Amino acid sequence: MEKTDIQENNLLQIEDLHIHYMSEGREIHAVNGVTLHVNEGETIGLVGETGAGKTTLALSIMKLIQKPAGRYAGGRILFGGEDLLSASENRMHHIRGNQIAMIFQDPMTSLNPVYTVGDQIAEVIALHGHMHAKQALERAGDTLEMVGIPRERANEYPHQFSGGMKQRVCIAMALAANPQLIIADEPTTALDVTIQAQVLDLMGKLKRELNTAMILITHDLGIVSEVCDKVAIMYAGRILEFGTLEDIYLHPTHPYTLGLFNSIPKLDQKISRLTPIKGLMPDPANLPEGCAFAPRCDYACPACTKTCPPGEAISPTHTVACLRHRELASEAGRN
Amino acid sequence: MQETILSVRDIRKYFPSGSQVVKAVDGVSFDVYRGETLGLVGESGCGKSTTGRMTIRLLDVTSGSVLYGGQDIATLKGADLRALRCHMQIIFQDPFSSLDPRKTIGDTIGRPLKVHRLAGRHERFERVLELMERVGLDPNWVNKYPHELDGGRRQRVGIARALAVNPEYIVCDEPVSALDVSIQAQVLNLLQDLQQEMGLTYLFISHDLSVVKHLSNRIAVMYLGKIVELARSEDLFASPAHPYTQALLSAIPIPSIGKKPQRILLQGDVPSPKNPPSGCRFHTRCPYATERCRSEEPCLREVQEGHHVACHLVK
Repeated sequence: MEKTDIQENNLLQIEDLHIHYMSEGREIHAVNGVTLHVNEGETIGLVGETGAGKTTLALSIMKLIQKPAGRYAGGRILFGGEDLLSASENRMHHIRGNQIAMIFQDPMTSLNPVYTVGDQIAEVIALHGHMHAKQALERAGDTLEMVGIPRERANEYPHQFSGGMKQRVCIAMALAANPQLIIADEPTTALDVTIQAQVLDLMGKLKRELNTAMILITHDLGIVSEVCDKVAIMYAGRILEFGTLEDIYLHPTHPYTLGLFNSIPKLDQKISRLTPIKGLMPDPANLPEGCAFAPRCDYACPACTKTCPPGEAISPTHTVACLRHRELASEAGRN
Repeated sequence: MQETILSVRDIRKYFPSGSQVVKAVDGVSFDVYRGETLGLVGESGCGKSTTGRMTIRLLDVTSGSVLYGGQDIATLKGADLRALRCHMQIIFQDPFSSLDPRKTIGDTIGRPLKVHRLAGRHERFERVLELMERVGLDPNWVNKYPHELDGGRRQRVGIARALAVNPEYIVCDEPVSALDVSIQAQVLNLLQDLQQEMGLTYLFISHDLSVVKHLSNRIAVMYLGKIVELARSEDLFASPAHPYTQALLSAIPIPSIGKKPQRILLQGDVPSPKNPPSGCRFHTRCPYATERCRSEEPCLREVQEGHHVACHLVK
């Protein structure tokens, strides 16, 4: 991606980040040159399939990449101007939860089964707010009410809550210390659709009230269109297309983005047959030369297998990493 | 007039749970027509998988009957029951746990042929290769193990195994839920092709309404062990009549921007099937519930041709 001018309200800047893992003697290239900027109060959807590197990218912002298997192989992460990759572990303790919080996919395993939910939320508040336990417990009750759970239930254990309620508790914990950035990793994937609607509605409301920036990781383009301001489409550790909701949903340009849209059954149209993307995700330990999507791309030309396309701005808000995007755009214009 | 291949009449499944009883399925009736895809949708715990499994006697019913070819399948024994298994098969949700990790995929696909003594050794091998080709697996992989395959290919193995005995009725229990969208589309296309070529009948169970709509001719919506609405796919989406169906359809995030239907947000969670609410089971979350809904249980009745609803408020 091209560097854009750093704006005043820029909260998080990821610059040309590379993350590699060692697994069974092979080097897995999970993140390969991601550049992503998040402004204050803005929600970015990070979309991609299994193995695209979404979760690795999220964990890397919190500096939770497991060592020694994983390592930062290049790039920078700046949070409020501070370089996180050179920050000490003590400093990271302060940032995690306090300034950047995370909501995980599975609410069933991200809560501690032997503590009451009130105690778990109070722990976050006591730790980051430097408060006494009693005060913190009081605040935990307020936080629960904010996510629509009666404060009396603070004395109950996670197993007494349903899946949707547990995810609300996780949201309450993430918000407890009033962070500037929330990273939500597939927060509603484990939930049923009517409960998902409740949780998305809640997240949208809280985000507006508290003006928290959010990175929402998902594979569901439907959820992105409801919650996010901007979208990054990720594939094999790179961001292939980035833009506002309008850019991505009305003018999708990268062949992979188009492939994703064509793969999902539409509720509002009758299609007798889907058009899947052919082939499979490449092996992250053995990525193809050039554009990683080229072997599956219907528009690939010989140059695509040699050159890794840089991100190119096709409008002030819309960036595409494809060698042939101009031809494709003019083709789309003709049709 | 469509030919009915399977008739399900008032089936129930109660699982004991400590001193209580979980009423997983509590009085479900429907017909499956030859060559159609009947979608069965609902949220976790509504009893859709249990219903699907009872239709092929992978689970015994607590009461009620499943009629196949005019015969109640609950009464079948021995050779007759084994013969039934050649007509009915199932494709499971999780391609990771539904394959034996110690068997090659050739063994897995050929196993039903061996069990049912449908083919000798050489013939079986030929048939396995043929099936692999049919579902889009490279026949050279016949000696590979499941861990060597990705999710989409494993699900193709599951499909080939179900097809091995040449069934006419297949229960597809969330067959694409564990797959990424680009792979999901490949498998959905395969299921469609197989249905056309082999004249298969599907009971397609899923929580993903866009997938169900894409494949199904008719759709049944379940809530807490009961069918609340059953209609042709296009009718159900054009004019959902039951308040639960309306809320369910409105909750689907649509991947487009601009015009979006008003979302109906349901309050609270699905009640426990151990102790379902009195009257209409949905009344605790229904925005329109009346006194009658709390006391009297609505039955599934036809309100328009082919459109069945279980709600007191639908005229």
